[in-house]
Amino acid sequence: MIVLDRASRWYGQVIGLNDVSAEIGPGLTALLGMNGAGKSTMLRMITGQIRPTTGNVTVFGMEPFANADVYRRIGYCPEIDNFYEHMTGRRFVYHLARLAEFGHEDARRRTEEVLHTVGMADRADRKIAGYSKGMRQRIKLAQAMLHNPDVILLDEPLNGLDPVGRHEYIQMLHQLALHGKTILVSSHILYEVEQMTSALLLLHRGRLLATGDLRVIRSFIDKHPHKIRVETTEPRRAAALLAGLPNVVSLSFAPGGEALQLEVNGPNEFYDSLMSISLAESLPIRGLSSPDNNLESVFKYLVEK
Amino acid sequence: MSVASIRNLTVKYGNFTAVSEFSVDVDEGCTGLLGPNGAGKTTFLKTLLGFIQPASGSGHVLGYDFIAQGREIRQRIGLMPEQDCHIPGMTAVQFVGYAGELAGMPADQAVRRAHEVLEYCGLGEARYRNVETYSTGMKQRIKLAQALVHGPKLLLLDEPTNGLDPAGREEMLELVQSVSHGKGINVIICSHLLPDIERTADRVIVMTRGTLRAQGLIKDLKKIAGHPVDVELREDSDAWLDAVRGKGATFLERPARSTYRIQVDGLPEDAARLCMQCAQQTGAQIRGFHVAQRTLEDAFLEAVQSTGPAISTAPPPIVQTGDANGR
Amino acid sequence: MAASPIADLSYRNYDGPLDPPLYRWWAIARVAIRDAFRKKSFWVLTVLGGAWYLILMIIFYFVQSFATTMMANRGRQILDPTEAAATMFKQVKWDEQFLQAFSMGQLMFFIIALLIGVGTVANDNRANALLVYLSKPCTKMDYIVGKWVGIFVPMAVAVAVPTLFFYSYCFMSYREYGFLDDPWLILKLPILILIPAAFHASVALGISSMFRQGRTAGAAYAGFYFFTLFFTKAMGTVHIILQQNGSSTKLIDNLFYFSVDGVQIGLAKVLLHSNGGQIFPFSGPGMNLEKFVVPEPNGLLMAFGYLVICGAFVLIASTRIRAVEVVS
Repeated sequence: MIVLDRASRWYGQVIGLNDVSAEIGPGLTALLGMNGAGKSTMLRMITGQIRPTTGNVTVFGMEPFANADVYRRIGYCPEIDNFYEHMTGRRFVYHLARLAEFGHEDARRRTEEVLHTVGMADRADRKIAGYSKGMRQRIKLAQAMLHNPDVILLDEPLNGLDPVGRHEYIQMLHQLALHGKTILVSSHILYEVEQMTSALLLLHRGRLLATGDLRVIRSFIDKHPHKIRVETTEPRRAAALLAGLPNVVSLSFAPGGEALQLEVNGPNEFYDSLMSISLAESLPIRGLSSPDNNLESVFKYLVEK
Repeated sequence: MSVASIRNLTVKYGNFTAVSEFSVDVDEGCTGLLGPNGAGKTTFLKTLLGFIQPASGSGHVLGYDFIAQGREIRQRIGLMPEQDCHIPGMTAVQFVGYAGELAGMPADQAVRRAHEVLEYCGLGEARYRNVETYSTGMKQRIKLAQALVHGPKLLLLDEPTNGLDPAGREEMLELVQSVSHGKGINVIICSHLLPDIERTADRVIVMTRGTLRAQGLIKDLKKIAGHPVDVELREDSDAWLDAVRGKGATFLERPARSTYRIQVDGLPEDAARLCMQCAQQTGAQIRGFHVAQRTLEDAFLEAVQSTGPAISTAPPPIVQTGDANGR
Repeated sequence: MAASPIADLSYRNYDGPLDPPLYRWWAIARVAIRDAFRKKSFWVLTVLGGAWYLILMIIFYFVQSFATTMMANRGRQILDPTEAAATMFKQVKWDEQFLQAFSMGQLMFFIIALLIGVGTVANDNRANALLVYLSKPCTKMDYIVGKWVGIFVPMAVAVAVPTLFFYSYCFMSYREYGFLDDPWLILKLPILILIPAAFHASVALGISSMFRQGRTAGAAYAGFYFFTLFFTKAMGTVHIILQQNGSSTKLIDNLFYFSVDGVQIGLAKVLLHSNGGQIFPFSGPGMNLEKFVVPEPNGLLMAFGYLVICGAFVLIASTRIRAVEVVS
């Protein structure tokens, strides 16, 4: 649905996006990166607010810049938090529905539907000025959904939400994704994103670092052997048994004395070997985990030189 | 001795009751303060700082009555606010030194101490530059430095990793951890990022709608009754699941992709052996194994959404005779 | 266990001496004073504020040099230059020179107040710096007193420097021309210096606390200043008209002083006991401006008005400075 082909964009000397190629299809995709990585630039290119300086961006096969046909089919939740504060939520969404070419009756109907979907139906009659952050984020999502777009783009939608609000918002996004929509969410908080989806786009300083499933990405990072932690009451014996395996790059004993930390190459073979050794030699294992199999570690590995 | 002890606090802003009949004991060490927006966390922190004139209630912070002795309390508390609060036109040294003077340190001591604290917070040569030129990470460090400069016994941190990149967050959490463990400083951290809290705090206090919902040690709150285990396989395997059930395990749920939560009798080691045997038989590969815990997020969500009495994993407080100030 | 050769550089508690709470405001004041004195524009404005003194000194110098010629122009032949000068200088009302310079310097004093005064609390508001102040054992009183003194001292210096410079110059040069006729002058001058310092400190503090930006606070103060100035000028014109008509000017005379400038000049007139008619020290016989000038107002009324205004603005500051949302 969304295709970027070697898209770049700079502002004077400052690089926004540098030679990024990606394809984004139906489902929930997360766009990750630190502040200044180029996430907003990319979203603005996709929503047709700016053009790439070089390269192409196409949405539904068309160029999105100033293209009403594309605009009709995308919904956008920007990062900024400015509304017409004196309006109630309902009026605000209604007016935007009217702007989206709905007639009066249709606009009302859509407004109610959309407010119901985001869970604001009972609270939409208060003035926006009195809304909490969570309610504002929901109103933003509501207005993005009015015209039933196939693609919804959200720029930092979880900003300022507490864990409860975050949880509920993510549920809403999952629901939308289940209906076959393409949802692109950008965030700089890695921990939030990990729970949302496994389809990732990692940006750093304008360049695309990696795409796809976290595990797959991890398995391609050769420079850093996989860290594995084995919790056992007999760490020394475990070390003796495992040191012989060719996959094992290094071993160390965790402080506290109840675990063995290993670095291995080729984790697949290692896990099989570990199982057989443990069973054959009656090595008691209380816990097994991979401390660097998470988004934060992967990001760190990708970003460092 | 508890760091702070609040009894039946009720605070109203006009008609709106922010906090009602709130009683809590904050223990020594590092405590996380959790709760949805509008839960009354702000009011609670303001109470600890001695700003609040409550409608009712009493309590003491570090041994001082928070209604009458606000100034003494603020002498011993440091606050790291969420928003930027530096004074423009000053360098870091000047700003932190100024904060020290405001806390009553003589000017020369304040400067010396400012350097010491800035060093500890990781600001090297940058401390001689104007604060406006700083990146977000450095601004956070300065906020921490100005909170520490007068040697407080209780540190209040509000969203300490706000706006930091992963490396900066890592460093800030290290700093918080080293300050709260072993230096004799008690810390209360207020944050929405539960991994931050898990990393640094030992206990949590959960508030919603002005009342206490849960408190206690994090590891206690995360425990699941019956000690089931989570097993992560390389890929989904129904064959494995059947084998395991055939050996007497009870299947509970699928908490994550390719992960199964099962209940097995006996110690975790026995469970592990059972799982590995079944894996060998069925050609599955075990990649992760641990005693199942709720994530702090789940524990928090459960606490927030429950309506019964507050969950507490601490032993019930000893009823105090005598006045609130007495120890 | 032997002591480790490696020093422990980790975080240490602070167990050192602490100043008693009484000095907290001075820390705040000191920063503001230091910042004010650092600004070059502050010193430029100080000199400009004393510009009239410079002009006076030049006039006196020329009169002293050309006394004989000037006396001759008035039809009196005095050959001895010293005697001629003495006769010329008899016209000078010394106390009133200070009043005139004070009056001329008002605009500069106001601009100095804009430069150093209106930003104080407003900038703190914008930077959320109040979080720092109020989370320390620093009360609102410390903050207000500290900020007030932080404007008062530089303002006082700005007024004092030219005034005392002129005083010493005249003391040295014109003692024999009757400069010391009024023995109380040296005591009146500190009070004169105090008047604008305390006034601007109070008003600037109050206005600054109402805004979040130094610029808007400055604009507000400027608006207030010029509006009242316009009012005063208007009253001055009405005074002259009424006087031409022979009507009573009593009410107008008091209303005339209802402005930022007016209150201060009114008090100065009372202090120096003069109507301010001698704008140029050596007016010829055809230049008697006494009747165009609004006379000295009622001392008690002026003092009362002055204190009320200062008090009101400090009260405004006191209510506007709250323990703001310390955490969001």
